[in-house]
Amino acid sequence: MSALIIANIGPLMFAMLIILLMIGYPVAFSLSANGLLFGAIAIHYGLLGPELIQALPQRIFGIMSNDTLLAIPFFTFMGLILERSGMAEDLLDTIGQMFGPIRGGLAYAVVFVGALLAATTGVVAASVISMGLISLPIMLRYGYDRRVAAGVIAASGTLAQIIPPSLVLIVMADQLGRSVGDMYQGAFIPGLGLAALYAVWVFIISIIRPHLMPALPLEAIRVRESTGKAGYASLVIVVAIAAAAAYALTDYEILHPIWACALVGGAAYVAALADRYLNLHILSLLARQVVIVMMPPLALIFLVLGTIFLGIATPTEGGAMGSAGALILAFANRRLDLKLMKQAMDTTAKLSSFVMFILVGSTVFSLVFRGVNGDLWVESLLIGLPGGQIGFLIVVNTLAFVLAFFLDFFELAFIIVPLLGPVAAKLGIDLIWFGVLLGVNMQTSFMHPPFGYALFYLRSVAPKEEYTDRVTGKRLAPLTTGQIYWGVIPFVIIQVIMVGIVIAFPQMVTGVLDKGTGINPSSIHFEAPPPPDTNPPPNFR
Amino acid sequence: MRFLLALSRLIDRLNAWVGQTVYWMVLAAVLVSSGNAVVRYIFDYSSNGWLELQWYLYTSFFLIGAGYTLLRNEHVRIDIINSRLSPRARAWIDLLGGIFFLLPMALLIMTLAWPVFTESYALHETSPNANGLLRWPVKLMIPAGFFLLALQGVSEIIKRAAFLMNLIPDPTPHHRHGADELVAHDLVEGDGR
Repeated sequence: MSALIIANIGPLMFAMLIILLMIGYPVAFSLSANGLLFGAIAIHYGLLGPELIQALPQRIFGIMSNDTLLAIPFFTFMGLILERSGMAEDLLDTIGQMFGPIRGGLAYAVVFVGALLAATTGVVAASVISMGLISLPIMLRYGYDRRVAAGVIAASGTLAQIIPPSLVLIVMADQLGRSVGDMYQGAFIPGLGLAALYAVWVFIISIIRPHLMPALPLEAIRVRESTGKAGYASLVIVVAIAAAAAYALTDYEILHPIWACALVGGAAYVAALADRYLNLHILSLLARQVVIVMMPPLALIFLVLGTIFLGIATPTEGGAMGSAGALILAFANRRLDLKLMKQAMDTTAKLSSFVMFILVGSTVFSLVFRGVNGDLWVESLLIGLPGGQIGFLIVVNTLAFVLAFFLDFFELAFIIVPLLGPVAAKLGIDLIWFGVLLGVNMQTSFMHPPFGYALFYLRSVAPKEEYTDRVTGKRLAPLTTGQIYWGVIPFVIIQVIMVGIVIAFPQMVTGVLDKGTGINPSSIHFEAPPPPDTNPPPNFR
Repeated sequence: MRFLLALSRLIDRLNAWVGQTVYWMVLAAVLVSSGNAVVRYIFDYSSNGWLELQWYLYTSFFLIGAGYTLLRNEHVRIDIINSRLSPRARAWIDLLGGIFFLLPMALLIMTLAWPVFTESYALHETSPNANGLLRWPVKLMIPAGFFLLALQGVSEIIKRAAFLMNLIPDPTPHHRHGADELVAHDLVEGDGR
């Protein structure tokens, strides 16, 4: 009996983990209890020494002093405050006005704003809820097909998962032992590519099924000139001047491209404000308004991503500055009060606590699991898969896709990724590529019916009963769950295509990293050296 | 049992107070961390003490707040099976899980971490980085956090047992599955919209 246990302790431990997790006791405690139980068994049979367990406080200390994970509360807090700051409302409203007159315009606006919100913060729930609350009623009011509206909102909201700065990418970088800056750069093209594919899909529907996404009627267009013109020419000129200026500043090497964009953006904002308050009427109403509403998100993107890529801030500090920016914005818009602040801090603290305790639990688990060579067992299972790299990626992605229905991405990242990472590395898979791929994959599970979380969030804010529209006074039917499910299916297919594209063309991810763009994300690490008493990342060799 | 329930209420009040106190450290960490980046860029000055303060603050809310998070039933579970069980079955799982999973783990780590703190305190250990902070306050947080967690574990066990004895209604707060659902709950219900 004992020989049998000793020979199979790794697989036994893994099987026990699955049973304990399925029972539904908090994951963090099931993980650590399982680790300790098998630690005791292994010590009993002389497979491990007791010093492994005694090292636990030191491991926990290592988790505490991990600067990267500090980004989790910052981006959470930022997302919570930003959703209440009124920024998304202003954006969706004005961008909706900008695209509104064309067919499918509101859908383009949702994709565009979804990508923009995704680039400011990393919380899917916040994006989906904002757009579900603000854009969905407008789309339903003006006769959008319900399925199309639901699909485009749920899908665009999940962009927050993959477009930097996303929490998934931070945790992925930490667990795979890569820099967050590299992970962010690697995820840019797939993330923006997805947004582009969504827009292409909207375009295709607007051609083949134009009645599913009508243009806004004339009376719904508020932002227009007194002469009745829409004012696009002025907007195009402003954008062209700004782009040319930014290009010139960069090309003559006067400024770093990020600084050039920041400067030009700031100048455009000042010009738009001057136009408004001095009544200059140089810009069209539309151009003025678009420039003004675009400024808060662009400023936040600069504060968070710009400072990271310029090497001014670590990703953690970027998150903190983003939070500070969101607080200032909410305060300026008179949306910030003590109750909201307390509530956001409360949620942030609880979220951080359960996330970090999963990490503590998975550390206890993997400490013992590695001690009894469980990792070698996992490796032997995965490394022999037919098809080498591609075979491994297909199996792992299928597994992650299915697991993501039941597991929070923090659970996946802390329990599964540390087991898969070393095998991927051994197969010669670039870990940034691997991380981004898993990121796109988990994003897909977010919108896959019937378990996708994005669908729940949309459901929670979409009308469940017949209601009277505020503007037209018409009675409108509720949005059914079936409509949400059918609506996202085209987008799920787009996602699967994207997973395939990323597998087929790793250059999409890795190509960006090799190019010397003058941005050296690794340099940011020199500014905040980790304390020497920190352990090496506990989950990875 | 009445005494135990009174004890449980006392623990709940303690951890609610602790949790709602330490969550202010979220704001403090935001300010310290963004301040660090700004000061370093503008004045070209950076101090290891201030950098370390970031994660001291972080630890103070995630670790010390662990008991509070348990009180609010926010330690995430996999609920595909759990959510289909009867309230009594779930109470049994929490009762046994508390006794066999949570308490041994929390007490073990607490016991192992205590000497780490006392040693650090006795030696006036400071961070090895120049201008680094004293280490014992943050090392104290490990036993303290796990103590509060164990304490809350006791309270949850009492409440589940009382429920199973039909003394009190189901004490389990609704569980939000995972990070995003917690955020969604905050955003949707928090405003009363």
